[in-house]
Amino acid sequence: MNAYWQLTLAQLKIFIRNRQVLFWSLLFPLFFMVMFGSFFGNGTSVSINGLVVDHDQTEASRLFIAAFGQQPAFSLETAENEADAMERLKRGDRHIVIVIPRGYEEKLNRWTENADSGNKEPVRIKVYYDQTNVTASQTALAIVNLIADGISKQIVRYTPVMTVEQEGVQSLNLKYIDFLVPGIVAMMIMSNNLNGVAAQIASWRERGVLRRMQSTTLKASTFIASQITARLLLNGLQAVIVLVVARFVFGTQVNGSWFTLLLFVVLGTLAFMAIGFIIAGLARTPESAGPIAGFLSFPMLFLGGVFFPIQNIPEFLQPLVRLLPISHLTTALRQVMNVGAGMTEMWPEALNLGGWLIAAFIVSAFTFKWE
Amino acid sequence: MLPDQNPVIEAEHLVKRYGDFTAVRGVSFQVRRGEIFGLLGPNGAGKTTTMEMIEGLRRPDEGTARVAGFDTQKDLKKVKEIIGVQLQSTSLFELLKVKEIIRMYASFYPHSVPVEPLLDDMILAEKANDRVKNLSGGQKQRLAIALALVNDPLVVFLDEPTTGLDPQARRTLWDIVLKLKERGKTIVLSTHYMDEAHMLCDRICLMDRGEIIALDTPSNLIRGLQTDSAIEFRIRNREEYTPDQWEDIVQQLRTVDEVKRVDTREGDYVLYTNDLQKTLVSLIAKANAEKWRLADLKTRTATLEDVFIHMTGRSLREE
Repeated sequence: MNAYWQLTLAQLKIFIRNRQVLFWSLLFPLFFMVMFGSFFGNGTSVSINGLVVDHDQTEASRLFIAAFGQQPAFSLETAENEADAMERLKRGDRHIVIVIPRGYEEKLNRWTENADSGNKEPVRIKVYYDQTNVTASQTALAIVNLIADGISKQIVRYTPVMTVEQEGVQSLNLKYIDFLVPGIVAMMIMSNNLNGVAAQIASWRERGVLRRMQSTTLKASTFIASQITARLLLNGLQAVIVLVVARFVFGTQVNGSWFTLLLFVVLGTLAFMAIGFIIAGLARTPESAGPIAGFLSFPMLFLGGVFFPIQNIPEFLQPLVRLLPISHLTTALRQVMNVGAGMTEMWPEALNLGGWLIAAFIVSAFTFKWE
Repeated sequence: MLPDQNPVIEAEHLVKRYGDFTAVRGVSFQVRRGEIFGLLGPNGAGKTTTMEMIEGLRRPDEGTARVAGFDTQKDLKKVKEIIGVQLQSTSLFELLKVKEIIRMYASFYPHSVPVEPLLDDMILAEKANDRVKNLSGGQKQRLAIALALVNDPLVVFLDEPTTGLDPQARRTLWDIVLKLKERGKTIVLSTHYMDEAHMLCDRICLMDRGEIIALDTPSNLIRGLQTDSAIEFRIRNREEYTPDQWEDIVQQLRTVDEVKRVDTREGDYVLYTNDLQKTLVSLIAKANAEKWRLADLKTRTATLEDVFIHMTGRSLREE
């Protein structure tokens, strides 16, 4: 028991004194978060800059322009002349140029004043848009259409026959960072444990550190148990730090319980550590441990739902994806954080990770070598 | 303190093969309690493999080894409790402090010695709170020996403890090894330095290519050469002769008075003799007659190196 504590303590001291590893393994996920968080952070709300050229200059045209003021993320400025406005659109300064023709109010009034007068023609609002920026211009066009439609309906006193009520089932407002952070935490758990264990054990074996221990009465099980304890404490703590930073600095949502979240962090850490021990047993040199770990972890990065949803993976790969421990870790973390799922919903994920954990530890017990 | 005659280590016909290569070919010897037993030989002689089979770190393909009566295969745990090991290329946790790493290794054993006196003995007290990576080569090696002593072992295995150290650090280490002997430890030490073996060991097991070629006290081994002096020199104008004529030179040298044996190594000649004066006079006369221009002439007493060359035809050191 004394040996177990001494080894655990020693391993923790080694971790903490190895500032560089500590720094980079924490910096990496945080850097990812800042990068993706600020590039795509507001991915769902595109902000649109438009210009309006008002040739009519009437009460009605000003009302039309004012209607855009109620649209969030749509800023509309008035331009003096059309040529100027078009120039700025072409330069990419603006997403859209709206032109209100002369006689707008007059044409509009014909509809309201004498409802049966035959001299009715639709008012034409001209909209120029930049088709190279599809997302922004499509949104802008939709908004312009919406406003034009609203005014039309108001004028003809149209009562809708049918309405559509929109309601999100999860009633959640998720941003890309909410999707991303669980993925990054899963990635971090995978790489720290799988690659970390494999590289360190293989290097200790190469340098004879393990042989020296083998020549004492120390038992292999004590050594492995202390490794697991120290790494669980440290890698678990790192994951928690990233989660806390994500929650309180980047405002990532944690809708489920922190306890369940922590449980999955621990489960994921153990499962990937066990796989790391297998790689450490298989790798003959520390140089080969890295590539073997990379060979396993790199595809998992892309297949396991770290950066893209698992649903986007081609159909024929789905059975494989459903076996990977990383898929279940990302799913579990995401469901707990985004949706607030608890153990009652997440038990299949826990089961899969637990299965990997047990199977990998059994295999690693057979493949582990002191030298 | 005179060595007790009871063997504390018994190696019987140890064989170790790696694929087609046989590293150790049937090595048998006994080590007495309280002696310093040296395994001397060039790199690749099988010293380390032999030691590691006795330590229980490698499984012999044939033969058995017993330490204090415990079989290193059947009673490995017992063996590990009574031996201390310093491996040839141990690297330790670089980021731990000296005191921490000693305490950690001590925790691996059911019984261990106090840390402070051990640090004093190994001249590491001042370095107790330094990290391993900041130690010099000699200090690291002393730490490795300290770790081999944490369980107060009966037998200490030191595998090339002074390789790569400067002369000062080597001498410090020799003193430590001799003090261990005074305290009654049995020490098995491997080295490829003949001076070290001569200086430290009570008995030397000379090994080459996985076999024992001689086993005796240092003085008996040298006595076995039957010559006590060696004369070394070069022939500066040797290049004027064809390689065929070089053989004639050796033949001529054999006829020098009192010469027991002639060795040549890449232009260096060694004559072994029991009568230094007669041989020298005769050699100078012959050199004059044959118009050899002798250079770098020196005389010395025969060493273990000469014993090894005599028995294997090769030098202990790899060129």
